[in-house]
Amino acid sequence: MSGTPPVPRDDPSPTPRDEPGATGAAGAPASSDELRRLRALLLGDTRTRVDGIETRLEAMELTPEALAERLPEAIALRARQDRQLGVALAPTVESAISESVRRRPGEFADAIFPVLGPAIRKAIAETMAELVGSINRAMEHSFSVRGLQWRMESWRSGVPYAQVVLRHALVYRVEQVFLVHAETGLLLAKASPPDLAVPDADLVSGMLTAIRDFVGDSFAQDAAAGGLRTFSVGELTVMVEPGPHALLAAVVRGQPAESFRRKTQETIESVHAQFSNALTEFDGDSRPFEPVQPLLQDCLVTVLDTDARPGASVNWRPLAIGAGLVLAAVIALSALSAWRWRRVIAALDATAGLTVVSSDRGWRSGSIRGLRDPDAASPGATIAAAGGDTLHITQRWDPYLSLAPDVVIARARRALGEAAGVRYALRGDTLVASGHAALDWVSAVRARASLPNGVGATDLSAVGLDVPAELDPLVREISEARVLFDVGSAVPGAAGSASPSALARRLSELQARVRDLGGDVELGLTGRSDGSGTDAANAALSQQRADAVRALLAPRAGGATIVTRALGATQPLETADPAARARENRSVSFAVRLLLHPSVR
Amino acid sequence: MIQKKVCMVGVFGTGKTSLVQQFVHTRFSEKYHSTVGVKIDRKVVELKGGEVTIVLWDLAGRDKDEDIGASYVRGAHGVIYVADGTRKETCEQVADLQRVATAAAGAVPAVIALNKCDLVADWALSSADEAALAARGTLFRTSAKSGEGVEAMFLAMATALIASPEGA
Ligand SMILES: Nc1nc2c(ncn2[C@@H]2O[C@H](COP(=O)(O)OP(=O)(O)O)[C@@H](O)[C@H]2O)c(=O)[nH]1
Ligand SMILES: [Mg+2]
Repeated sequence: MSGTPPVPRDDPSPTPRDEPGATGAAGAPASSDELRRLRALLLGDTRTRVDGIETRLEAMELTPEALAERLPEAIALRARQDRQLGVALAPTVESAISESVRRRPGEFADAIFPVLGPAIRKAIAETMAELVGSINRAMEHSFSVRGLQWRMESWRSGVPYAQVVLRHALVYRVEQVFLVHAETGLLLAKASPPDLAVPDADLVSGMLTAIRDFVGDSFAQDAAAGGLRTFSVGELTVMVEPGPHALLAAVVRGQPAESFRRKTQETIESVHAQFSNALTEFDGDSRPFEPVQPLLQDCLVTVLDTDARPGASVNWRPLAIGAGLVLAAVIALSALSAWRWRRVIAALDATAGLTVVSSDRGWRSGSIRGLRDPDAASPGATIAAAGGDTLHITQRWDPYLSLAPDVVIARARRALGEAAGVRYALRGDTLVASGHAALDWVSAVRARASLPNGVGATDLSAVGLDVPAELDPLVREISEARVLFDVGSAVPGAAGSASPSALARRLSELQARVRDLGGDVELGLTGRSDGSGTDAANAALSQQRADAVRALLAPRAGGATIVTRALGATQPLETADPAARARENRSVSFAVRLLLHPSVR
Repeated sequence: MIQKKVCMVGVFGTGKTSLVQQFVHTRFSEKYHSTVGVKIDRKVVELKGGEVTIVLWDLAGRDKDEDIGASYVRGAHGVIYVADGTRKETCEQVADLQRVATAAAGAVPAVIALNKCDLVADWALSSADEAALAARGTLFRTSAKSGEGVEAMFLAMATALIASPEGA
């Protein structure tokens, strides 16, 4: 405050006590009087002693200036040495503090409030943790009938279990706390749990005071006797804790314990201790009471009867927990076993070609009866894959014919023989093959009199025909041959050319052998020209060359089909020797393709 | 937040409840609802000096004039006395009420509402009577029915509350 006594050294006057201060003139005789007495008390004595010390110091040639210079160092030095300094100062400091508290408790409380606040908040956090803990206890260990009933209720109603516990096990919960100015009934501060809003708290506060006044008036009760302390509205109990300047009202759901009454008493006492000035000076401004929040928050307790009850609970709890754990383990194991069994049966049922007719599960073993298509996957593998124990499961599978696509395809593959490059699909009852296969395999499939069960027809049109291995050299010989031409000529037989008549013999041999396998040869002739000349001329010339070779081969082809194409100089053959390039491209080259003979198509 | 407790004081039927209703909820009802005990309402008033929440204590008007329940008035920061212009005696009773209220609350700002001014034709009040009333505090002619003077009267109260460093 502004009335701090002046420090003697700064005061030029030797008698500072009678200085006509502004406080005295302002017409506050009481406080200026007090100040004078205080100064006399505190400084009168000190002043003379300080003077004495000064003279002594001067005698020792140690001026206060010099002392001031060295004092901090000296204190630090001594404090490092031992605790003597602290011991010596302690009584003085203590009495100074207690004096300060006695005279201005409010200021002192204000000063230490920043320290108190966090501590209180920590306590609240611990209380919250306590509540969460007790709910968890209820959740974890409630193998009691009651716990199961709650669980059922939670399950039926969809209300979270913790909330059901709260509903049933709630002893009491403080839902609102008001700090009300006693004289005016105005609201100083309020607190409520985050999930409960307080509408019109200021009206409630006023009404509360009015009700108390009314009761006080009506029953001629003295305020000193406490007046109205408790009243109930439905499930709510309002507990009022009066103090000289303010009252604390707590709205409680359920039956508050006596310990809570003590808590409200302590709280209102703390409020008066910490806010005594603010309370006496209150003139409608509630801002000075904002720091009261932590104290009020501390009153927002929730008590459940699942909390440990001393005595009775000590003996049975560990047993119950043990039994509960065993029971839980058994339940868990049997649930696991049942789940695994269901998974095995489901896996079997989901496998094409397997149908479970009946199944029976014992404690460790089981038995399964069903139908199995011979082409279905192995039941044992399916069981093992699903986590079942084939050793302890008796199986009996009767054969049947499945029309499940996977099984039909498996059956077809078995019946038709493996062909590595062929893939199957079932469209309706038509077996559609794709990929590629050797000519002989394809024509064998085509020629089959009977198809596997479940297959009504085959479609092999998408299967590419491979050259059977034994015909490979012959095909290669034909494919690598070139009939060469002179520049601008369409007459075969340039130097180095293959002989058309030799080619014709090879072709007719190939055709004969392919025909034996149910196919036909289609020989493609590609006519080319070298790069000189116009495109049109080259195109015409290369066509003439292809036609000329066909004319030579056709009569002796043994029934093979011959087709031609003319590329001119557009897609030249690449040669290792660039010098040979033009020569090699004045040519007709050959490509062999196998087709199915119309009789097996 | 600055809050001030203001008590409505007046004989029953003068329009205390109606004035509060008009000021806080801007409504009026011809029906007479006898107030039991006390009814509390509040309104936040914006003034140049800032915001103030007026907590209005609407006391039950009882049969006996001075029986206004001193404990309700205790701690009030301001008192609004309500008189009914159509009933001369309610004006005269203001003096008694003011004596009781001042004893309980101290010399706090006072405003007098001379109510039912919409019925001014039926008033049986001489100008001398009105002047006598005005001597007891700032006088406003009000009508809880039409709303006339209501806002002005409450604002005058609020301004007085902010202005006065409490006299208690
Ligand atoms: N015409 C008129 N009637 C009013 C006015 N104020 C109140 N009243 C009526 O007077 C009756 C008493 O009013 P009320 O507010 O309940 O008086 P209270 O006992 O002082 O609270 C009610 O029937 C109101 O409708 C007013 O300004 N004009
Ligand atoms: Mg009324």
